[in-house]
Amino acid sequence: MEKLLNKNNFDSLITGLKKQGYKTIAPRKDNRLVTLEEIQDANEISLDHVITNNSIKEYFLPKTEKILSYTIDKNKVEIEEPEGFAVKSVIFGSRPCDAFSLPVMDKVFNWDCVDKFWVERREAVTIVTISCDKCDSYCFCTSVGLAPDAKQGSDVLLTKISNDDYLVETVTEKGENLIKELESVFSDPPSDTPDRQVATVEKKFDISKIKPWLDENFEHDVWDDFSNKCIGCGACTFVCPTCHCFDIVDECTMTKGDRVKNWDGCQFKMFTMHTSGHNPRSTQGMRWRQRIMHKFKYYVEKFDSTLCVGCGRCSRVCPADMNISEMLEIIETEAGK
Amino acid sequence: MSETKFEPKIIAFLCNWCTYAGADLAGTGRKQYQANVRIIKLPCTGGIDPLFLIKAFERGADGILVSGCHPGDCHYNSGNYHARRRWNVFRPLLEFCGINPDRIQFSWISAAEGGKWVETINSIVDTVRALGPFEGYHKLNTIGPEISGEAAAPSETG
Amino acid sequence: MIEELRKKAEELLKNGTVKVVFGYGEGSTPERTRPVFITKPEDVNKLTWNKYCVYNLTTYLKRQETRKLGKPALILKGCDARTIIVLLKECQIKREDVYIIGVTCDGVGDPLATKCEACDVHTPLIYDDLVGEKRENKEVPFEERYAELDEYEKLGEKEKWEFWQKQFEKCIKCYACSNICPLCFCDRCIVEKNQPQWIDPSAHPRGNLSWNVTRAYHLAGRCINCEECQRVCPVDIPLNLLNKKLAKEAEKSFNYRPGYNIDDELAMSTYKEDDDQDFFK
Ligand code: SF4
Ligand code: SF4
Ligand code: SF4
Ligand code: SF4
Ligand code: SF4
Repeated sequence: MEKLLNKNNFDSLITGLKKQGYKTIAPRKDNRLVTLEEIQDANEISLDHVITNNSIKEYFLPKTEKILSYTIDKNKVEIEEPEGFAVKSVIFGSRPCDAFSLPVMDKVFNWDCVDKFWVERREAVTIVTISCDKCDSYCFCTSVGLAPDAKQGSDVLLTKISNDDYLVETVTEKGENLIKELESVFSDPPSDTPDRQVATVEKKFDISKIKPWLDENFEHDVWDDFSNKCIGCGACTFVCPTCHCFDIVDECTMTKGDRVKNWDGCQFKMFTMHTSGHNPRSTQGMRWRQRIMHKFKYYVEKFDSTLCVGCGRCSRVCPADMNISEMLEIIETEAGK
Repeated sequence: MSETKFEPKIIAFLCNWCTYAGADLAGTGRKQYQANVRIIKLPCTGGIDPLFLIKAFERGADGILVSGCHPGDCHYNSGNYHARRRWNVFRPLLEFCGINPDRIQFSWISAAEGGKWVETINSIVDTVRALGPFEGYHKLNTIGPEISGEAAAPSETG
Repeated sequence: MIEELRKKAEELLKNGTVKVVFGYGEGSTPERTRPVFITKPEDVNKLTWNKYCVYNLTTYLKRQETRKLGKPALILKGCDARTIIVLLKECQIKREDVYIIGVTCDGVGDPLATKCEACDVHTPLIYDDLVGEKRENKEVPFEERYAELDEYEKLGEKEKWEFWQKQFEKCIKCYACSNICPLCFCDRCIVEKNQPQWIDPSAHPRGNLSWNVTRAYHLAGRCINCEECQRVCPVDIPLNLLNKKLAKEAEKSFNYRPGYNIDDELAMSTYKEDDDQDFFK
C-alpha cells in the first residue's frame, strides 16, 4: 500500500498514535545529541540529522533490565518473573540500517533459546522508518548489501519526495494495519512517479572479498597494527545496533535479589578473563579481531548474515578514531594482494 | 490509617580506638540517647572509603556519621589526618550532586567523651529527622532490590 | 611546525633515542585527527599538527599494547605534559623512560575546548624538546579558572540532584571515560571487582550514581583537566564539571594543583596538621 504524508500532519499522526494506545519513540535533539526517545509531541521530532546517536537496539535489548527477582526463605526460593516489559509502541523515524539490524538479530535471539524479552518486544513494536536523504562519510550501508531506502526490517517506510511530503510504503501486515488505524492522517499517493530524495552512499569495499580473507587470516599483523590506538573502551559495541552481548549479574541481599541483564562487549579486557587470571584474548589486537570476525565471519557462517548494517556509529563514537570501514578496506586490499 | 513517625536510619562509621570506645563509655555510663544509630566499627577513619557512604545510602541510610580520634590522637599516627583530607573534597562533591551535606556528619570523639557521643547522635538524629527520609536516593533502587536494614549476601561481604 | 615535528621525530628514531613516536595523524574526517605510533623514520610524514589534536597521548603509556613498542617520544601539549608530572609523582613512569616533544599550543577543538579558554600552560612545563614558538604562560585567576562551575554551584539542592540524575541516567556504563583517562591506570578498576561488588555494574540510576561519583572522586587532586573523559562520553555527560569541582576544592583546601610542580606532595597522599576541619563537630 502506498500513501502520502504531509509534514503538517505529523501532529495528528502523533496524537493519533497516542489515541490508539501507542507509545511513540522518535529522534529528539538534546544539546549535542540526537537520540531515539519517547516523545509526547510532534514538534519534539528532529528530522535534519544523519542518524541518531543511540541505536534502535535499546528498545529491544535495554542497557540494563531485570530478568527475574527472587526471595530466599529458610527452605524455599520464590521466583517472580517480570511482566509488562513489552509495551505497544511505534518507533518513528528510525533509519533503514537500524531497522535492518532487527531481522539480523532475530536470528540469534530465536536460535538455541528463544529470548522472550526480545521476541515479545519485537511483536509489540512497529517500526516506521524514514529513508536517509543525507549521509556522512561514516555511512557504508551500501557496502553491506543495504541502501539508504532499504525496506528490510521496517513495517512502514517513509521517503521524502518534496520539502513537505513523504511517500509512505507499507512493508508488512503490521505496517499496513497501523496505516489503516490512522487512515485520516494520510492522503493518496501522487499518480506520477515521485522524485524520491535519497542519499547517495558511496560503496567502500566489496563484501564478497572479506570473508574469504578472514577465513585464512586469523593470525595477521593487521590486527595489532590497526588496533594499537584502541583504548578498549567498548563504546563501539554499546552504540552498535547489532552487537548483542550481555552479562548477567545478581544484585541481591541475603534474602532477596534481582537477576539483571546488562550490555557487555568484546572490547573489554574483562570480557573473556577467566577466574584463573588467564585471558584467552589477552591483547586489544585479539579483541579487535574478534569484533571483525564475529561480524563478518562467524555470524555469516552461523546465520548466513553479516552482523553489521553499515550505520558507522562505532566509527563516529570511537575516542581513538578507529574506523571500521577503513579496516574492511584494508582487508579488501590485503585480499587483493 | 494512623501516621507513623519517621525514624531516621543513621549509620555510624567509627574508629575502634576513640569514638567506638567513647560510645562504649556512654553505654557503660547508662547514658540515654536516640536509638536510631547502627554502628560499624573500623580500625581507623583512615580506612573509611567514600564508597562506604554511598553503599550506606544505597542500603537505606537516611544519614551518616563518620567519627574518629581527635587530630594528634590517631592510634596509627596519621589515619585521621588522611581521612580529613578525603572528606574535604568528597563532601563538596556530594553536595554538588545534590546530596544535602547535613545528611553526613563528621566528628572527633575520644574514648573519654561519652557525653559528646550522646550529644552528637542526638543532634544528627534530630537534623536528619527534620530533613525527612532520603527518598531521592532510595528511589534510585529502581532495578535492584529495595533494601532496607537487611544483611548483605555472602558475596557482598567478600 | 608540522615539518619541525617530523624532523624531530625522524631524528629521534634514526639516532635510536626512542623506538616509537606517539603523535597525531590524519583522521577519518578533516575535523578529526587520530593517534599514530611511528616506529620507522620513513613514516614520519604521517605526523600532523592542527587544532583537532585534542587527544592526550599520555594515556597510551598505560596500555600494554603501546608500551610493547619500546621507549616512546610523546608529542605533548602543555595540558598533556602536566599528566607526565603526575605520573612521575605517582611512580607510574620514570623520567628516563619517556622523551617529551613539547608543543606550544594556542588551543584545540572547534569550538575551542573549555580547558583552552583558561589555559595557563600554552608552553609545556616539562619537555625534552620544544617545538613551536615559546609563549608566555600567563597566570589565570582562580575565579576565572573555575567560572564554568558558577551556574551549577548556584543551583538549589533539589535542582542539583535533578540535573545530575538526568545526566547520570544517560550513562551506558561503557567506561570510555575511565579507559581514555591517562590517570585511570588501575589494572582492574573498582567497578570490575565483584567480591565484594562495590559498584553495581548495571547502568541503572543507582549504579550510575555510584559509578560517576566514584570515578570523579578517584581523580580528586589528580585530574589535570585534559577533558578527554568528557570528549569521549558517547552520551555527552558533562563529566568535566565533576572533575573541575574536585579540582577547585583541592586547590581551595590544599592549595594544590596537580601537574604544575614536581616538588609538590600529591594532595591525597599527604596532609597538613592544620587542614580545614570546620565541618567537623
Ligand atoms: S574501537 Fe574505539 S570505541 Fe571500540 S573499544 Fe576501541 S577505542 Fe573504544
Ligand atoms: S559495527 Fe559499526 S557500522 Fe556496523 S552496525 Fe555496528 S556500529 Fe554500525
Ligand atoms: S562484536 Fe563483540 S560485542 Fe559485538 S556481538 Fe560480537 S562478540 Fe559481542
Ligand atoms: S579525569 Fe578526565 S580530564 Fe581528568 S585526567 Fe582523566 S581524562 Fe583527563
Ligand atoms: S563514558 Fe559516559 S556513558 Fe560511558 S561510562 Fe563514562 S559516563 Fe558512562
